[in-house]
Amino acid sequence: MTVKPSNKTSQIDQEILKLCNDKIDSFLDYNDDISVIKREAFKRYSKKGLPNRFEESWKYTNIHKKLQNIPVSDKNYPIPLNVDNFINSFDIMSKIKSDNDTLIVFMDGKFIPELSMLEYSKNGMEINFLSHGDVPRWAIELMINKHNVNEDPLFDLNTILMQEGVLINVSANVKIDSNVYIIHIGNNDGFFNYRHVINVGKDSHINVTELKVSNRVNDALYTSSVLWNVEDNAIVNNVKYQAHNQSTVGFNQQYADVGSGSIFNSFTISSGSKLLRESRNISCNGENSEVSISGVNLLDGESHIDTTLVVTHKAPNSLSKEKYKSILSDRSRSVFQGNIVVDQIAQKTIAKQSIDALILSNDAEHDSKPELEIYADDVQCGHGATTGQLSADSLFYLRARGIGEDEARRLLVHAFISDVMEEIQDTNLRNVLRDVMNNMLNRVSKGRLNV
Amino acid sequence: MFEIKNLNASIQDKQILKDFNLKVNPGEVHAIMGPNGSGKSTLAHVCAGREEYEISSGSVRLDGVNLLDLEPEERAVRGLFLAFQYPVEIPGVASMTFLKSALSAHYKFNGKKELTIPEFMKLIKEKSNSLNISDDMIKRPLNVGFSGGEKKRNEVLQMTLLEPKICILDETDSGLDIDALRLVANGVNLLRSKERSFVVITHYQRLLDYIEPDFVHIMADGKIIETGDKNLALDLEKTGYNDYIEKDI
Ligand SMILES: Nc1ncnc2c1ncn2[C@@H]1O[C@H](COP(=O)(O)OP(=O)(O)OP(=O)(O)O)[C@@H](O)[C@H]1O
Ligand SMILES: [Mg+2]
Repeated sequence: MTVKPSNKTSQIDQEILKLCNDKIDSFLDYNDDISVIKREAFKRYSKKGLPNRFEESWKYTNIHKKLQNIPVSDKNYPIPLNVDNFINSFDIMSKIKSDNDTLIVFMDGKFIPELSMLEYSKNGMEINFLSHGDVPRWAIELMINKHNVNEDPLFDLNTILMQEGVLINVSANVKIDSNVYIIHIGNNDGFFNYRHVINVGKDSHINVTELKVSNRVNDALYTSSVLWNVEDNAIVNNVKYQAHNQSTVGFNQQYADVGSGSIFNSFTISSGSKLLRESRNISCNGENSEVSISGVNLLDGESHIDTTLVVTHKAPNSLSKEKYKSILSDRSRSVFQGNIVVDQIAQKTIAKQSIDALILSNDAEHDSKPELEIYADDVQCGHGATTGQLSADSLFYLRARGIGEDEARRLLVHAFISDVMEEIQDTNLRNVLRDVMNNMLNRVSKGRLNV
Repeated sequence: MFEIKNLNASIQDKQILKDFNLKVNPGEVHAIMGPNGSGKSTLAHVCAGREEYEISSGSVRLDGVNLLDLEPEERAVRGLFLAFQYPVEIPGVASMTFLKSALSAHYKFNGKKELTIPEFMKLIKEKSNSLNISDDMIKRPLNVGFSGGEKKRNEVLQMTLLEPKICILDETDSGLDIDALRLVANGVNLLRSKERSFVVITHYQRLLDYIEPDFVHIMADGKIIETGDKNLALDLEKTGYNDYIEKDI
């Protein structure tokens, strides 16, 4: 299967297409489901390549400008030898991990058993890996379902290139009280592609914390998709913390289907990054489902973070809440596109969206584009967006009480994100994340944030 | 001693303070009354260091140091306190954190040992009780959801904690009910001492029944046009400002 890149496309477009071309060759002779969807994804992807700014949902984010080449490594840093200390060397891990937690660690696109801590089958939770060959039927089906309706070229790209990921299946009626950590560590330069699939059975309860951290300032490009299927009356608390360095380019996709009476709570903290696209597609499929999608973005340098969110209400009486706060300094740029869709059947939907940006420098920019598509008549939908600087009145008030300018700015920057942090359900994790963010915020409040 | 000399200040090319002069000796209470827009709050803000104003000439000295050369926070720790006419609500900043930061800055400047948390809590409790400020108020974010009167009482609480040398009260009495007025006046009177002086900006003679001033000034069009004792305020209540302003012209 060969597709010639047209000469209108950018360098990165050509490189990625060539890579896909080479990769797909090894799936040509197989007819298992994964090979089939990879080929179909390639067929779709190769027609257009990477999205460009003429597409409505990419208006504010120009991949081709931010990303010129696929990073390649000339060195090869090995997995750190002192395994026990390694995970704990990440400040946040040393504070939140406890002994009966499940730790699933990936480095540079590969699962690293020696850094992980897990049982493949324990108390109603089954863990498999994409690379282990016999992908379980439930995971294949969830992947096929998303694949069939997908319109996002980056998800197709992820499908073509996905090499590793965890597949977690929680049976019905299981309350997992320990935490499951999915950790991505960047060590070497390169292009990495993850696909995780998580199924949460009826009446079950799980906390999943995703961490993306780097061991060194590596030059990484990655795509990562997480497919959630949440059956009825289940509860999911999901927190994602990604502290990227300034050379990382990441494309994250989160899909969640939420069943009747279920609660899906997902919070993201993102910092740094050369370019980060956070696509989140959340669907309230069942009556009385509740989703909370929120997060904090901390941007500095030339960072560009684009959060593109679609929440769809497909059943009556469901509730969605989106709350995002971005803090921008230097020449950074943030984009928020939030689309709320309420199907005709989804009467009595309540959907709320609030997007706030605090801009600390003259050269930073924030674009926010809320959209409502409402086909039901009895709904409550509201959205609000603010973009502003630190209030001069507030700053003066604090300083007039003797509080120095730096400290006053710090207090106000903290104040800005204070309420959204309450969306993190686990109070312990919330406190740790507040602490971890303290240092970053102290720097950002002076207009400097170097993660 | 607090002394303002030939102060000229403008905002957006509009001159507000015009050769303003005022001398306040330690221990004295000066009341400033004057029609809306005469520049009273401007005077207070310029003294406290609000940046928006253009100061073309003059000085504001506290114990010989020209405050106009200093940042707002330095003026504060050196002993100037402005009780705001409109205290700012700051969601996300806990009142306690704010009070602790403000107090620490003052202690640090004065070379005093910082209070431990229990000592600090005890101090806050004691001072807030005397102003009838509930624990619940103190636990809220700074001024958020406070009624007009509660905000003013909170200003006086801060003043009481920070023990300034010169207190400028900008209409601290407006919006207070009769009981709160008494509490606030009582708070101020407790702070009166030989070293501490007050500039009390007000529209109402009533406050001056409680806080007895040594001098009453009438301010109009950016300067003081008449100075007298507390009886001036009583006369003013009867006649209004027109007599004085016309006389001045
Ligand atoms: N930011 C500003 N831009 C333009 N004009 C201003 C600004 N701030 C104040 N002024 C003007 O300065 C003048 C003095 O205002 P100021 O608030 O000092 O009066 P005041 O004596 O305190 O009045 P009040 O008794 O109503 O509190 C007014 O005419 C006001 O409109
Ligand atoms: Mg005023």
